[in-house]
Amino acid sequence: MSDIRHSLLRRDTLSAAKEVLYHLDIYFSSQLQNAPVPLVEKGPIELLEEFIFQVPKDRGSHTKRFSAMQELQLLEILCNYFQEQNKEAVRQVIFSSLFSPQGNKADDQRMALLGKLTSMSVAVCRVPVLECAASWLQRTPAVYCVRLAKALVDDYCGLVPGSVQTLKQIISVSPRFCCQFITAVAALYDMSSEELLPPHNLLEMIVSWIFDDPMLILITFLNTPITANVPLGFLDFSPLMGLVRWCVTAPLAYRRKQKAAGGQLPVESQGLYSKLHLSMLQGLMVLQTHLTEKNLYGRLGLFHFDQLVPLVEELGQLCDELNPLNAEQEMELALDRLAQALQVSMATGALLCARDDLRTLCARLPHNNLMQLVISGPVQPQPAHPSLTPGYYPHIHTPPLGYPSLPAHPALPAHTPIPAHPAVPAIPAIPGHPVQTFMPGMAFPFRPMR
Amino acid sequence: MAGLGDCEFLVRRARELVQEDTCAARAWLITARTLYPQDFNIQYEMYSIERNAERTASAGRLLYDMFVNFPDQPVVWREIGVITAALRNDSQDKQTQFLRGLFEALPGRIQCDMLLKATEQCFNTLERAEMLLLLLRRFPETVVQHGVSLGETLLEAENIEDQESPVNCFRKLFVCDVLPLIINNLDVRLPASLLYKYLNKAAEFYINYVTRSPQTDNQHQGVQETSDLLSPTKRNSQKYIIEGLTEKSSQIVDPWERLFKILSVIGMRCEWQMDKGTRTLNDVFHRVKDLCRYITNFENEAHAKYKNQVVYSTTLVFFKNVFHYISSIQPSLFQGPNTTNQVPIILLEDISNIYTEVEQTPGKHIHKRRKLAESREKTMSSDDEDVSGKGRNRHVVVNKNDLANPNEVLECFKIARECWDLLHSTEALEKEFSRICLPWKTDTWLWLRIFLTDMVIYQGQHKKAIASLHHLAALQGSRSPNQQIIAQGALEQQRAVIQLASCHFALGEYRLTCEKVLDLMNYIVPPVQESARIQEDPSKIKPKFRKGSDLKLLPCTSKSVMPYCLQLMLASLKLRAFADNRDDMALGHVIVLLQHDWPKGENLFLKAISKICQQGNFQYENFFNYITNIDMLEEFAYLRTQEGGKVHLELIPNQGVLLKTSSNTMGLLQQEFIPVLQASIATNDRHHTVTRGITKGVKEDFRLAMERQVSRCTENLMVVLHRFCINEKIILLQCLT
Repeated sequence: MSDIRHSLLRRDTLSAAKEVLYHLDIYFSSQLQNAPVPLVEKGPIELLEEFIFQVPKDRGSHTKRFSAMQELQLLEILCNYFQEQNKEAVRQVIFSSLFSPQGNKADDQRMALLGKLTSMSVAVCRVPVLECAASWLQRTPAVYCVRLAKALVDDYCGLVPGSVQTLKQIISVSPRFCCQFITAVAALYDMSSEELLPPHNLLEMIVSWIFDDPMLILITFLNTPITANVPLGFLDFSPLMGLVRWCVTAPLAYRRKQKAAGGQLPVESQGLYSKLHLSMLQGLMVLQTHLTEKNLYGRLGLFHFDQLVPLVEELGQLCDELNPLNAEQEMELALDRLAQALQVSMATGALLCARDDLRTLCARLPHNNLMQLVISGPVQPQPAHPSLTPGYYPHIHTPPLGYPSLPAHPALPAHTPIPAHPAVPAIPAIPGHPVQTFMPGMAFPFRPMR
Repeated sequence: MAGLGDCEFLVRRARELVQEDTCAARAWLITARTLYPQDFNIQYEMYSIERNAERTASAGRLLYDMFVNFPDQPVVWREIGVITAALRNDSQDKQTQFLRGLFEALPGRIQCDMLLKATEQCFNTLERAEMLLLLLRRFPETVVQHGVSLGETLLEAENIEDQESPVNCFRKLFVCDVLPLIINNLDVRLPASLLYKYLNKAAEFYINYVTRSPQTDNQHQGVQETSDLLSPTKRNSQKYIIEGLTEKSSQIVDPWERLFKILSVIGMRCEWQMDKGTRTLNDVFHRVKDLCRYITNFENEAHAKYKNQVVYSTTLVFFKNVFHYISSIQPSLFQGPNTTNQVPIILLEDISNIYTEVEQTPGKHIHKRRKLAESREKTMSSDDEDVSGKGRNRHVVVNKNDLANPNEVLECFKIARECWDLLHSTEALEKEFSRICLPWKTDTWLWLRIFLTDMVIYQGQHKKAIASLHHLAALQGSRSPNQQIIAQGALEQQRAVIQLASCHFALGEYRLTCEKVLDLMNYIVPPVQESARIQEDPSKIKPKFRKGSDLKLLPCTSKSVMPYCLQLMLASLKLRAFADNRDDMALGHVIVLLQHDWPKGENLFLKAISKICQQGNFQYENFFNYITNIDMLEEFAYLRTQEGGKVHLELIPNQGVLLKTSSNTMGLLQQEFIPVLQASIATNDRHHTVTRGITKGVKEDFRLAMERQVSRCTENLMVVLHRFCINEKIILLQCLT
């Protein structure tokens, strides 16, 4: 490493940046031939920090800075590098070495350059960069992800009117990136204040993506190893929870904004939330099909019961806050949506919990007929039709919404049958337990998507 | 039950929301369905929303679920009924197309089940058949199970519903839709007898379909199309509808082609002697002729297969060629393009040689000529002779203006005759052929009768032809006469009478010939211009052919038929006129008729003049009524002179004994000619009353009459001759008694 460093020091900044990429590419490529997961040592990261992020290594050396022109050239070098390296593993390692936050002073530069690189890749449609960014969003603490999302939203939803169309088209080349981007955006705009309502054009874009293809919200989830657990402070595997929060709190959050501004409720946005809410439910229905096909129904949830707690609390606060404002309609709508989301999540296996848990959870919310119905569960119907798998609606010839159907995993061992009725989960004991404990030692690395 | 209350609540909330926020309504229903997956109303509500929004995939999906989970819901059945009706419908409207798309979005197995169940629920035979057809077309594997039974059901239905015509909806579905599926599916094994039965049904259907008469569809067309009739192009595109079927389903493209395909597939399955690459029906006929060359004994059971091949193939080739021949010569019989404005064409004995024949014969040898004529009569008709020897290669004269494709038409005529001969060459074949024809009631087929008549006329079997013509006239009469007269000119309906006249003439039955001709004159409108020029063409073309054995195809118009009629009369009368027994009346008639096509008959006229000279006197009181030819008038004026031989001519009615007849004639003449000749006739009349019986005045009368006659030279001769035939019918026939 030090040899490389010495040779690089003699070069000018740009060619040194190019050279360091070249050397690390060779270095990681050879590492990847020996081990499936290369060990990212400190050396290469330091090299990158010194020659790409221009962090001075020695106390004595002077601080160099790229000019704006040089920075643009550097971005082009990076873009081209990722475009031309056709080994995905190498790309991922390099991207990770470049942009994984190290908790040092280079992180700001890292994030700034990542924002610009991603934004540029959206503009010139560099799919490999977007795919790397999607993985990065999965591996990186949410605080950083939100920063990347903010950078993109600033570039495409605020700066130039109409530029959102460029971002919108990315859906056709990298749905994986879009899925992660939505998750990050949902984390960024959490509706907790007026400023944190999503911009209208961003909302519109996201709704159009998901409405056209509700499966979009499941892409990351379905491509993630089953055993993986979401570490605290990272983004969810699916934007679902964040978007459900949007839909549920939107009627009240916008009402609050209207109260503050004294203006009209933006009807357009409300229509979009209705669409989004429907798409969420449809996405959940698709999830059920996949879970059932893989015999995971009732064993693997999409989100955790605990994640509901802050949402319900927030909703309760909003209701309290707006109650004196005659916001019954908005409250009713919000509660209806929550009840629908809870019911469909339970029925489709996305949420593994008992109805009794809901009763406790929602105890402090205002009364709502549907919520009542969902908490108490359906009146036990007449004996089920023998030929019908309750709650499971098999595919017609094509998999729903244009996605290739997932092959059933051949290594999947036989399991106990699917619960007889989704409304009465057969595993009442699991709520609160980590889902993964039900899949001990499963050789089930990936659910391939495309 | 509280559960029902919940479901109602959920569905009601969704309904309330549908108009203002469909997405919210759908979200409610998705939720509701996860709560109550067994509730039909929730799913039906979901389906209704998707259906009304015409979202094919999701509506299809929901329909599928309902079909599987709620197979007993009447609402589902009604919906399936609507969808299957859309599948059978030709309509291109958005709703129908959506419903079709909805069906297509379903998985094949479900489509199959749905159609089968829908069929079970359907009690109307026709609808049931159409539904099953949808099934058989989509799922060929179902043909084995349902194909033959569907076919039999249709054939039964045809009997039960007492269909008069083989062109009915049941037969159409059987022949055009079901049969090809059955016979082309090699998994369906059928006995040969059944295959022949099906071939028979198919042939009967297609032949009746192509030869359907235009009247039948007037009934179906209704009033709205009548305005379209005015435009010939529209008439071509006019659609024929078989009762009970849609317009699209009633259209059969290339019916002969389809029939031929069925023939060849069935032939293959019955292991006929066939070429693989047989292309046309006529190729099939060649194969059959080859076959007949080495199989003579069709009575043999071992040859039954080949007998069937010969009979069926030949029968189809026969009817196809007859059809093409008739559709060219009598197009108005059939429904199809260009039928209204095409004139029918009639096969007749060619007699355009009547002038030349006499010209060759010297006037002295009348005896001999008469004998010649008699012998000719015999040769012209060959009823008693062997058919195969006589009339094989007679020339048929056709004017190019009358027929666009004369060679093709005559070729069809020839092949049809060959087929007929082949089918009647052995008793076994003949028996088999009539076994096919009898149930088809071919003896009621006017078009076939026309061909058969033409065939015997061609063969010179005029007695047979006359019998056939009476049969034809009876068939024609049985068709609703009003419509025909309205549809076409009256003369065009007289095909049989014209051919009768021609046949009687060929048999030497001159009085009958003239009777028919004079009947015809009632239907003829004298053409404005003389048609001498048209007459000339054929006589130029065919000098090398045997006299009296030629035929011609004559357009059935006054312009063409009237000259032919005049020639027939002339030919019939001239024997009498030039006979040894003096017959001034006949001679006079001949002279009147010779005016037509003048001066072709000049020699004959001169012969008449010399006969008059020999006689020394001549009495023909119609002379001034009908003779306007200046040459003739001059000749007669000359006859009276010293140089002309001072022939005594009694040409003015009151000169002779037939006072009564002639004054009648005069009266008629007066009425018709008042505008032209008012003054002179008035003087004439007065003069006559004063000078009757006084010979001194006669000379003056003749001069005046001649002068007046010269002024009539420009009159339309055809009008004059037409009036002659109409007015003098009685005396014309008297001469031939």
